[in-house]
Amino acid sequence: MNPPAAATVTAHRGFGLSDLGWRQKLGTFYDMSKKQIIEFSRYPVAFVALFVQIFLIIVMFLFATLAFSGSSGTAGQGRLAGVMVYGFLVSMFLSFTLWEVGFSIREEQVRGTLESLYLSPANKFNNLVSRIFAILLFAGVMCVAAVVFVGAMVGGMPLENVAFALLVLAFSISGFLGIGFIFAGVTVKLKETAQFLVSFLQFFFMIFSAVFFPFSALPAILRDNISRYLPVSYNVDLFRSLLIAAPEPELMSYAGEFYVVLAFGIVSPVVGYVVYRWIERQARAAGTLGEY
Amino acid sequence: MGEVVSHGLGLARPGWRANLEVVGTVVVARLKIVARYKGVILMEAFLPIVFAALPILLGVSIAGGSEKAATNFFNATGTENYALYMLIGASTFMVVSLMLWLVGYWLRREQESGTLEALYLVPTRRIYILAGVTTYAMIRSLTAFLIAIILGSLIFGVNPFSGNVLMAIAFLGIGLLPMWGISFLFGAFIMKVKEANSVIQLMQWVVAFLMGVYFPVTVFPPLLRFFALIFPPTVMTDGMRGSILALETLYGGWYVNFAILIAMAFVIPYLGYETFLRMERRIKRNEGVGQF
Repeated sequence: MNPPAAATVTAHRGFGLSDLGWRQKLGTFYDMSKKQIIEFSRYPVAFVALFVQIFLIIVMFLFATLAFSGSSGTAGQGRLAGVMVYGFLVSMFLSFTLWEVGFSIREEQVRGTLESLYLSPANKFNNLVSRIFAILLFAGVMCVAAVVFVGAMVGGMPLENVAFALLVLAFSISGFLGIGFIFAGVTVKLKETAQFLVSFLQFFFMIFSAVFFPFSALPAILRDNISRYLPVSYNVDLFRSLLIAAPEPELMSYAGEFYVVLAFGIVSPVVGYVVYRWIERQARAAGTLGEY
Repeated sequence: MGEVVSHGLGLARPGWRANLEVVGTVVVARLKIVARYKGVILMEAFLPIVFAALPILLGVSIAGGSEKAATNFFNATGTENYALYMLIGASTFMVVSLMLWLVGYWLRREQESGTLEALYLVPTRRIYILAGVTTYAMIRSLTAFLIAIILGSLIFGVNPFSGNVLMAIAFLGIGLLPMWGISFLFGAFIMKVKEANSVIQLMQWVVAFLMGVYFPVTVFPPLLRFFALIFPPTVMTDGMRGSILALETLYGGWYVNFAILIAMAFVIPYLGYETFLRMERRIKRNEGVGQF
């Protein structure tokens, strides 16, 4: 006896009769983002903590500079404060991407909801991207507040080429998403160690991508052999060089750095997602996706 | 009947050996778990080096060279050895941070995995379980401290044995006792607010800020300085720096710091445990300890 015609449709990639078009993808993105925002709103302390934490870090480093700046104090340190704060803002977006994309997968594992998510007909890419959307909106607000706050403390910071810098930031975030995807895959594999891997990556980039200081402060051997090979370094360098209106960025020319940032922003998410799907397939085949 | 309900232990009368065994078992269990994640200890040892490197690189670039940085730093703090100053601060911060992190996160993890209420049914008093967890936290944080100081000294080219090392060790040893109490307080707080991750991350920076990881707390305005001076990690760090770098301590002499730290070692663990018990009772009456 032949199966009914609808059965062949139902068997399509396990999605049943669901529509896999752009509306479904947009719907997934919207619903998952909404879920993230609702989750955030249930933990108000986390919101406040994030705000306070960022200001504390900035103030702590400003106090540290006081001990090194001699009699001049913070007066006239606007440019250096710009180097520090603008670099920190880029690293903040990187950290959020790593934590939210990568670590939330870990949370789903621990809660036991990761496998259920894979059984739903939701688009996997949007599922990953939506994890960061809400926090990036929030981070944007914090960035503005941080710039105003530090500017007030040091008597004004340079703020030039804002539109171009925002474009660079957009490509940077896109590139960071790729790292986040890879990290999400690694999380599925490494499980508990992932938390420390995030911390490690954060601090690795803090040092070698010269987040808090100019690249000239790094020993030449580190700058030439490590920093120059990290795309994140160019994101940091270009973003802050534009905002402080430096004659040239430290690692390359403006045009050269922009091409690196552009390429990173386009290639990284694609590579990252391919790597994530590859690790995820392996985990599913081994039956370890939901294990923790 | 009165005997049966005593402390919920039924007719059991655990002696000191049984209690010690509970502490030992908890310590061994925690150590076995962390031994499964080998990169973690190494990571914890490297973090203070990164924490120390950030202000060093920033400071050198602000001062315009390492010699100028040393001179400016001497004028601000009384020592030219800014690398060792930062390394001691960052390594001590790691100890403090881990004590909070490990105890807070342990509680939260037990809540999330649904085993916290089960722990309340075991025939022992909570103080011994908590003592086991905090002892484990001490062992882990001291291991990280030692590796960080040795590795950091090699990387920054400083000699940590240049001053009164025994006195510094005494400050560290005594300073851990109030930390024990603070971790109880922190545990109580985590039980109440539940958002362990965000609270821990915020507290890390509050602690780093208050204890003057990168700068002497004398730069603070009066009210903030007062809070910093009554904060045990500040006294501990200051005593350690004073001993190794031959600096005048915040309270005027090493013996004053030492006396204050001893007083704190008596008072704060008691206060911490009492607060924990009160909070626990309140939560048990309301939503229950297992809810998260």
